[in-house]
Amino acid sequence: MKGIIFAILGGVFITVQGVANSRISQDIGTWQTATLTQLTGFLTAFLLLLFFRDGKWQAYRRVRPLYLTGGAFAAFIIFSNVTAIQHIGVTMTISALLIAQLSLTFLIDSNGWFGVKKQKMKLPHFIGIGMMILGVLILRA
Amino acid sequence: MVVGLFFALLAGLLVSLQNIFNRKVSEQAGTWSTTTLVLGMGFLSSLAMGLILEGNQLFSLPSMQPWYWFSGMVGVGVVFCLVQGMRLLGPTYAISIVLTAQLGFALWSDSIGWLGLVQVPITFTQWFGVLVIVGGVIVFKLGGEWQQKRSISKM
Repeated sequence: MKGIIFAILGGVFITVQGVANSRISQDIGTWQTATLTQLTGFLTAFLLLLFFRDGKWQAYRRVRPLYLTGGAFAAFIIFSNVTAIQHIGVTMTISALLIAQLSLTFLIDSNGWFGVKKQKMKLPHFIGIGMMILGVLILRA
Repeated sequence: MVVGLFFALLAGLLVSLQNIFNRKVSEQAGTWSTTTLVLGMGFLSSLAMGLILEGNQLFSLPSMQPWYWFSGMVGVGVVFCLVQGMRLLGPTYAISIVLTAQLGFALWSDSIGWLGLVQVPITFTQWFGVLVIVGGVIVFKLGGEWQQKRSISKM
């Protein structure tokens, strides 16, 4: 039950982030919003890191440098998300975003790109993505 | 419409890549070391893009409201809830719920025009569309998992 509550809150927070960012963007601009929210998020995470003392700085050196830059995508993710929400609303944005996200993740998994463990594409994955695209078409109707 | 869809799809592709990169980092470093690094990188890239495109204008924040300063902490809440949810439920089950909650809350936000969004009246058709999408998410996540288990037990 506790796990379900955490998972629901996690999902709600992801949407809240998008909506809040597009609201703040109207007042101060999109790049300002991205810079400000990432900075305050970073400072909060850094305080938690000091508190929980799971700082293993030397661990970063064992990771391929490319993977350390993943966070840098955030600037473009926030810009795209805010622009999409302002054009087509929250529901349609999240729906299209999830289709692209799950499709690419599966393409990467099934090809074993970036050294991830190769997974076979199965019928339920095709049906699932098909249903999601169908749902978006229904939303548009 | 096309512009909005383009950016939504682009965001989805980037989120997918980011998740994979971040997972690689968290396999070596802990949750908070990873989150701190990810948000720090996000700050630097946003700062750089903002400076390139807007120069000093980036630092003029005329109509700040107090809650804007705290909004970034939601991102930390996301990480905390996701990590706890996955620990207690396993990734497949947890992510299915996360995606469903994400969509459900999006529908609710549109329907009441939350935080000054354009209010979109939610019709039966839209509920049905979201239900089909949620069904698709569940088939994708749980169906894939179930097939995998079955093929393992056959071996």
